[in-house]
Amino acid sequence: MTSFQSTIGDEEGIAEELAEGQREISIAEFFEKNKHMLGFDSGARGLVTAVKEAVDNALDATEEAGYLPDIYIEIEEVGDYYRVVIEDNGPGITKEQLPKVFGKLLYGSRFHTREQNRGQQGIGISAAVLYSQLTSGQPAKITSRPKGQSRAQYFELIIDTDTNEPEIKADEETTWDRPHGTRIELEMEANMRARQQLHDYVKHTAVVNPHARIELREPGLDEPLKFERATDELPAETEEIRPHPHGVELGALIKMLEATESYSVSGFLQEEFTRVGKKTADSVIDNFRDVYYGRELAWSPPRARDDRDVASAVSEAVANKGAEATTAFAEGVAETVGNSDRITRSELAEVVDTVAETVENDTDKTFGGTVRENAVDAAWRAVTGLGGDADEATDSGGDTESGDDADESPLVADAYALVDEATSTRKDDAAVQAMAEALARRFENLDGDAFRITRDDLERLVADAASFVAEQRDATFGETARENVVEAFWSRARRVPDDPPKVKAIAGSRDAAADLLDAMRTTDILAPPTDCLAPITAELVEAGLRKEYDADFYAAATRDAEVHGGDPFIVEAGIAYGGEIPADGSVELLRFANRVPLVYQRGACATTDVIKRIGWRNYGLDQPGGSGLPNGPAVISIHVASTNVPFTSESKDALANVPAIEDEIELAVREAARELKSFLNKRRSMQQRREKQDVLGKILPEMADKVSEVTGRPRPDIDGALARIMNNVSVEREVNGESVTLVVENHSDVNEALEITDIVSTEPTDLSDGTVVDMDGEWFVQWKPEVPSGDERELTYAVDGDPEFEVSVGGVETEKLTVNA
Amino acid sequence: MTTESDARDELIDLAADFYDQFAAGDIPEMTLPTRTKSNIEYDEASGVWTYGDRTSTRSANSVRGARKLLKAAYTIEFLANQLDDDRSSTLRELYYLSESWNNDEAQFKSQDESNDLVEDLEIVTGVTREDFHMRPEESGAKVMGPLEIREQTNRGDREIHCQLDVGQGGYQIPNNPDTIEFLDNDAEFVLCVETGGMRDRLVENGFDEAHDALVVHLGGQPARATRRLTKRFRDELDLPVVVFTDGDPWSYRIYGSVAYGSIKSAHLSKYLATPEARFIGIQPEDIVEYDLPSDPLSDSDVNALESELEDPRFQTDYWEEQIELQLDIGKKSEQQSLASRGLDFVTDTYLPERLGEMGVL
Repeated sequence: MTSFQSTIGDEEGIAEELAEGQREISIAEFFEKNKHMLGFDSGARGLVTAVKEAVDNALDATEEAGYLPDIYIEIEEVGDYYRVVIEDNGPGITKEQLPKVFGKLLYGSRFHTREQNRGQQGIGISAAVLYSQLTSGQPAKITSRPKGQSRAQYFELIIDTDTNEPEIKADEETTWDRPHGTRIELEMEANMRARQQLHDYVKHTAVVNPHARIELREPGLDEPLKFERATDELPAETEEIRPHPHGVELGALIKMLEATESYSVSGFLQEEFTRVGKKTADSVIDNFRDVYYGRELAWSPPRARDDRDVASAVSEAVANKGAEATTAFAEGVAETVGNSDRITRSELAEVVDTVAETVENDTDKTFGGTVRENAVDAAWRAVTGLGGDADEATDSGGDTESGDDADESPLVADAYALVDEATSTRKDDAAVQAMAEALARRFENLDGDAFRITRDDLERLVADAASFVAEQRDATFGETARENVVEAFWSRARRVPDDPPKVKAIAGSRDAAADLLDAMRTTDILAPPTDCLAPITAELVEAGLRKEYDADFYAAATRDAEVHGGDPFIVEAGIAYGGEIPADGSVELLRFANRVPLVYQRGACATTDVIKRIGWRNYGLDQPGGSGLPNGPAVISIHVASTNVPFTSESKDALANVPAIEDEIELAVREAARELKSFLNKRRSMQQRREKQDVLGKILPEMADKVSEVTGRPRPDIDGALARIMNNVSVEREVNGESVTLVVENHSDVNEALEITDIVSTEPTDLSDGTVVDMDGEWFVQWKPEVPSGDERELTYAVDGDPEFEVSVGGVETEKLTVNA
Repeated sequence: MTTESDARDELIDLAADFYDQFAAGDIPEMTLPTRTKSNIEYDEASGVWTYGDRTSTRSANSVRGARKLLKAAYTIEFLANQLDDDRSSTLRELYYLSESWNNDEAQFKSQDESNDLVEDLEIVTGVTREDFHMRPEESGAKVMGPLEIREQTNRGDREIHCQLDVGQGGYQIPNNPDTIEFLDNDAEFVLCVETGGMRDRLVENGFDEAHDALVVHLGGQPARATRRLTKRFRDELDLPVVVFTDGDPWSYRIYGSVAYGSIKSAHLSKYLATPEARFIGIQPEDIVEYDLPSDPLSDSDVNALESELEDPRFQTDYWEEQIELQLDIGKKSEQQSLASRGLDFVTDTYLPERLGEMGVL
């Protein structure tokens, strides 16, 4: 770009010329030039984004109205363009609002609320409308039918990109077969190269919204893709919450200050923020005083040996009050001051007031405002040794070296004590003394005589004094020493009694507002309530996976709510493993934010980072090199719900790397992964058990045959040995005349609770325990024995004749069971 | 010693044990002494090293254990039949023969496996392999010296004089030396020699004739038959036994297995080991004294020497002194290095000197 600077002298009126070229840019026009920020950077992607925005809106609208979402998506080729149709069964949109919702950017109900919603900015759907109109020249065609209305309203609208206002091309009543709902039809330049992403988006939406029914038709599908609902339970309704003091930014705070009807800061805080009551507001205001006014440094009053005398100073300052009253006043002040360890000017003023009132009561004399002020000034001079003419002369020079102890300001002694206490014993005395003097001189130069200073300024002042001492005395005060010195002074300084400025004043001053924000952030405040969040719940996360993935194992975990920057969030994770999930390549990662699938920019997403850094080998998944995405037949889904999900960009494709959220993601995933691990371990041991059973089941009979051959004896019964070897639970029948015994032996290393049902063809009698039910000439004998590890139970009954038996055993894995009955 | 029918009974008894375990609903198992260096103990009474009290169990509880026991059952059957038929076979034949068994699981995967199993059976039944009519592939070595014996062969008894009736190679020791009967001898002592080259040198130089020595060729780690025969020379003919090997740690182990028994066959030590056998050389001391040509000790030599220092069989003053000396000088020498002093040095000087020192001559 060429610089106008060089020609500015030559050409007159350049500013005017430039001004002529400047005009207000409408937000629509801005986004027209920045389509990529909203996810419309290519035809392939634009199509997916349009569907996504429309479906997100549809889900939000139906849920808010309490309907189970029933969403229909259709994509059609129309000449060179694609037509996207999305229908929902939501509450419809009123005639007045409809054009604005679809036709005006940044119009939405959610931007200002703190509630978990899919959309937040009110940009998405209108951006889709804009994209369609820019690429195809066609208006958006919208049909809406609010519940109870006999006819639907049909609009065609375009957005005027200059004014960001919708322009209605058609507005007529029409008929529609849905009893209520909204249908939007957009034509756009697009292609289906992102078919996979589109399918993923719809499938993942179905996973994470198990209460929704979704149907997708597109030109590449012979049959429409239908995703049925897995639950009739709508997500819990979310409560809107006011902002949390830890979650606002300066601009927002100033806006709130301007808009509030509160007069005082305390009222404002309590009214506009969540989790702020009187007590919390007071702490915020206390912290605000510290940053806004600073604290007053406290100094020790004169001791007996000092030649400064509070009593005489005060009595000199008081005139015409009679000797008795004057003495009583002066001595009262001097005594109270003398009793305190350290005192600030404000505290001194309080003391003077208290004593003055006491003396007034006792003596009929009046100590008016002027008298009191004079008394405070005089007493303060006596405490600090400042304010007299002599002092002015010695000290105005600043950092001159003054080794004369007689003239030493009493502040130096105080400062010496604090510096000495704050620094290590190795600091030599001269350095400490020099530091104390340097500090005292700088304190004396503070505005006013109350020694008010904010912590930041105090830090700067101490650093300045330290560098002076370092230069002059070659004694270093390192960072820790300086911090300790600051802390020593700050902890003894007193908070000022001044009232905070009124809301209007703070709103008018950026610095004051920044101080208030600072105070809000440093105050401990209860975490925001979490009923503004609607987690899917572990149960439904699992149900969603179960619905769309045919796996052998599912696990899910929902964490408790946590807070990041004043916004509460909840992380949920689910894992599906095995079954029909493809085993080759890395696992499938499903990312969700506020129930919206994130389709693009997987690599840039915090969830991906977390998955990559977990050591999956611990959990039984293959992970080449021990880091990165694990391999195997698994699907991992992660859902982050928050009132303000931190995305890396406006197009909301990837979660930003926020440590607090990443930690929760990791914990949630690990929780689900632990279940996966125990499943895989169990499966592995079952597999080994099965293999062992197979091999031993073959070998041992052969061995038994061989030993019976060699010894010339009949083949031994090896079932007992087999049961023992395989840590088995064996159920064996012994029939002895009329009595039937089922022997249950538990050779496993855990206690087993079995359910044994014996179906007998004649009526059994004399049951040892258990129940018998007659079912059409068959008798079901049932026991539920608990057999401790290594123990056995005998279940007996008696029957007549030669009955048939059929036993079934439950409660034990079939791999562990040997039934010989 | 056991007779053949005893051997067969012992095998059948073992099979019957398995049978009884099955019948009692128990898991079949076989308990054996642990066959490691840490589980051999010195038997005061016999002066040999045998297995200690630690045992390990082969149980059908695991797939591995069950396979072993299945193979044991098949092998028992095979051995019992072999004894019935009065046939014999080699360990290697057993390995190949298992291929003919109609059960994949029972077949041996390697010959080590079949060899180990036969040893297991020896231990459990207390019957030696020879009495199972199992013989190793490589037969025992050779004897040369003034001894007359009678050997039972498949072709009838043969009377053989081990100097007069044999060629330069000597009398071949049969696999089961217990089939030999000693008839007559003029021997003064038994000289076991490690290498074939040295044995040939001694025979060529007429050492056996000159000193009435029974020269037994060990041929590396001696076969059981060789060790058994050596023991019989000592016990039945009351001959002193000396062992002549290279001067390196591996050769000391050869001496160790002759004198004390080997770890793998410690169950047979009382039957195979000759605790009276003494080591003649090459001693580390000799390397120094005779200034023999030598090679430096390799790392594995040093490790082997150090491991011998911890071997209970070598924990005697004599061996500790010799091994420490060798570690000190860092050298080893072969038997044939004596040739550096001339071909006759070994028979004319070295052996007579050493035998004199040891009080054999």
